[in-house]
Amino acid sequence: MPALLEVEACTKHFGGLVANRDVSLVIEPGEIVGLIGPNGAGKTTLFNCISGALHPDSGRIRLQGVDISRARPERVCRLGIARTWQVVRSFGRMTVLENVICGALRRTNRVGPAHARALELIAFTGLAGKEDTPAAGLTLADKKRLEITRALATSPRLLLLDEAMSGLTPIETAAAVELVRRIHRELGLAICVVEHVMEVVMPLSHRVVVLDHGEKLTEGPPAEVARDERVITAYLGDRYRARG
Amino acid sequence: MAASSPPGRAGRAQQVAWVLAALVAILYPIPFEQSGYVYYETVGFLVLLNAMLGIGWNIIGGWAGQFDFGPNIFFATGAYTAALLSIHFGWNAWLALLGAVVVSVIICAAVTYPITRLRGHYFAIATVAMWMIAQPIGATWELINGSRGLFLPVATGGGFVHGMLTMEFAGRGKGLGFYYLALVLFALTVWGARAAERSKLGFYFRAVRDDQEGAEGIGIDSRLYKVIARCLMAAIFAAGGVLYCFWALAVFPDQVLEVNWNILPMMAAVVGGLGRLWGPVLGSIILIPISQLMTATLGAGPLAGRGIDLIIYGAVIMLIAGWRPNGLLSLPWERWAARLLGRAPAQPVKS
Amino acid sequence: MTLFLQAVADGLQMGLLYALVAVGLTIIWGLMEMINFAHGEFMMLGMFGAWGLSVSLGWDPLVSMVPLAVIMYGAGVLVYRLLMRRVQRGEIFTQIFATVGLFFFIQNGAVAVFTSDYRFVEKSWLTGLSGAHITLGDVRIGVPLLVGGLIALALFLILYLLIDRTDFGLALQATSEDRDAAMLVGIRPQRMYAVAWGLGTALVAIAGVILANFFAVYPQAGLSFTVLAYAIVALGGFGSILGTLMAALVVGVVQSVTAAYLPPAFKDAFVFGSYILIGLLRPQGLFGRF
Repeated sequence: MPALLEVEACTKHFGGLVANRDVSLVIEPGEIVGLIGPNGAGKTTLFNCISGALHPDSGRIRLQGVDISRARPERVCRLGIARTWQVVRSFGRMTVLENVICGALRRTNRVGPAHARALELIAFTGLAGKEDTPAAGLTLADKKRLEITRALATSPRLLLLDEAMSGLTPIETAAAVELVRRIHRELGLAICVVEHVMEVVMPLSHRVVVLDHGEKLTEGPPAEVARDERVITAYLGDRYRARG
Repeated sequence: MAASSPPGRAGRAQQVAWVLAALVAILYPIPFEQSGYVYYETVGFLVLLNAMLGIGWNIIGGWAGQFDFGPNIFFATGAYTAALLSIHFGWNAWLALLGAVVVSVIICAAVTYPITRLRGHYFAIATVAMWMIAQPIGATWELINGSRGLFLPVATGGGFVHGMLTMEFAGRGKGLGFYYLALVLFALTVWGARAAERSKLGFYFRAVRDDQEGAEGIGIDSRLYKVIARCLMAAIFAAGGVLYCFWALAVFPDQVLEVNWNILPMMAAVVGGLGRLWGPVLGSIILIPISQLMTATLGAGPLAGRGIDLIIYGAVIMLIAGWRPNGLLSLPWERWAARLLGRAPAQPVKS
Repeated sequence: MTLFLQAVADGLQMGLLYALVAVGLTIIWGLMEMINFAHGEFMMLGMFGAWGLSVSLGWDPLVSMVPLAVIMYGAGVLVYRLLMRRVQRGEIFTQIFATVGLFFFIQNGAVAVFTSDYRFVEKSWLTGLSGAHITLGDVRIGVPLLVGGLIALALFLILYLLIDRTDFGLALQATSEDRDAAMLVGIRPQRMYAVAWGLGTALVAIAGVILANFFAVYPQAGLSFTVLAYAIVALGGFGSILGTLMAALVVGVVQSVTAAYLPPAFKDAFVFGSYILIGLLRPQGLFGRF
């Protein structure tokens, strides 16, 4: 089977700062890939390049063979990639239901079917009962859950989760991890997770890619990566912080 | 906007309110016609016209969240196109209306697409810039007779029905006739806006307003939808311009491009509640009579009545922006009304 | 060719005045990313102030420039404290709206008080110089406008030094970079914002005082200057003071050259059209960095 997503030598500068340098990675259909690295490693930049919010200065990004390196975000979404954001972007003045309907309208032009699909997904992700709550009035955990629900409504083949667990309490984090597992199990999507918290990402991922200072350090099964000397060095500080 | 309509008593109360409002709107001019106070029919005409324009502005301003300071460009294109079609080709007024709307929408799409890359303040200023470019064009373009203006042949009467079909009302029947013409166009506007609001368009406009990047991330082409929103506004303003054209029987560039044609609809939308379909209607009902009153009482004096009401509007806008950003409809009307009916509201009050 | 060079020369002089009009907006924008729809109205008030003091007390505009600057500084601070502070952290739409309201309020207030008639500053030092000119080759440079332009340039440079070289200016820049960090080092952001508004308003009012020597004074004069100022700020790369100067010179020249070859009604149209073009093709402005 051809790879779902191929990133080939993605390089992105911001003025003098090289946020991504020659980063290559592959995501197969149906797998969960963790993208880790210390702060400033370039993870969100890579996500932005993949989702079309930014365009790489050089290199190629392909989704099932289609070149999306210079595609606008809406086209990338249409082709099957949905994402969540590090700082939650919900449609604050609309209700939970309306937010998800917006996502569902990606696949249908009529509000009726979108409404039905939205209700299904809201039940699936555990937001049932909050349909008519304005998004701005939700807790952070629920806002993140809403963002994921809305992204799922676009029927993606690949879901990019940008620090979906950050800012959550341990209980909320566990619930979020369970949601990601359920999404993977029942919807069969490929998922790419950017995370800082090792205890979350390692058990969740089939494969982990490590970035450091804009370059890919290594990749492999979580257990191997966790034992890799270079990764430990890059992460020494974070590792202790995650424990505390 | 709730996903489902409120059940039971509140729902029936709403329906009763609709029917009453429709009756009032249809019967409004009758007492004035009987008593001879025809002036109030014209006030009603202006209320409906501005309410219609306000709904149009609300689409780009309240729903799509883009501040547009130049909608009167399309009021002008509507008026001029209809005038030209009527004068040079003898088109019936309603056909001319259609033509005017089509032409205005095409122009809108063409000039708006390029500026949709601009955000916030910069988009607003671009719309002002367009308005300022339109002014010398209007004053010097030979096709539309520049500042000498275009004149339509004076209507020769012919009864109410004939007038409704040709938008020709003269003399004593003018107030009544144009009131009902405005009512028809207003009703069409409300019907169209309602349909848009409940459709994909309504959702996508509000998504772009609330978070443009987030909207793009779920597949919404923000540039396209900004253009569509503005074109809907342009269509409505063009229709208003056509109505004005047949009412005034003369089209002058500085009159159709006048700032009142953007400030009043904008004010109506804001005072009545941005983003709510009926906001501009409420706003218009409140503002136009006040404006007319001011013109009447101050018009004879040394102070130009116009200037004073704009001063007050400016102050009101600042007050609302500073203290009540969502306009009058953010007041707990629903709670008060519900208490009046003796039961709790069906849905949480939106902030 | 002479026509072209003359137009360029005239444009450069006007550009210096435009720079002063725009730089107030640059400061407010650069600091707070807030824009003032009523920017040109303060300029108009400066014009009326100069005219009024000239007619009633016989003061030369260059003299009344000082008290007017102080008054308008106060007006700017007042606008910030009473209105802008409330909308600063809210939606952009509401911010735009607030200053639109201010625009209608001030412009029509002026109409109510002064009527829409055109007024002129008849007697002033600068108008007294009219007729005198310097000749460079085939090009005539009128002394009054040149002097006016040089005064504007001097003020502009003082401002630049103030922002770039003094502690106060550094505090302003710090607040614009990172408001919270600025608070940590003892800078009070609210005070910085109020000062920015005061400065911005005072500067554009001074520009108005100088312009009153050359242009008709009437309430509607402000709006096209507001759009002009935006165009300049956009071209100049947003928040860069020197960029504003260069952009203003470019705009002055474009306007002047356009007026030389097209009907005068279109001279502003070209500038406004350029604003739209720049927004499309090079959103960071001609002199912006990224």
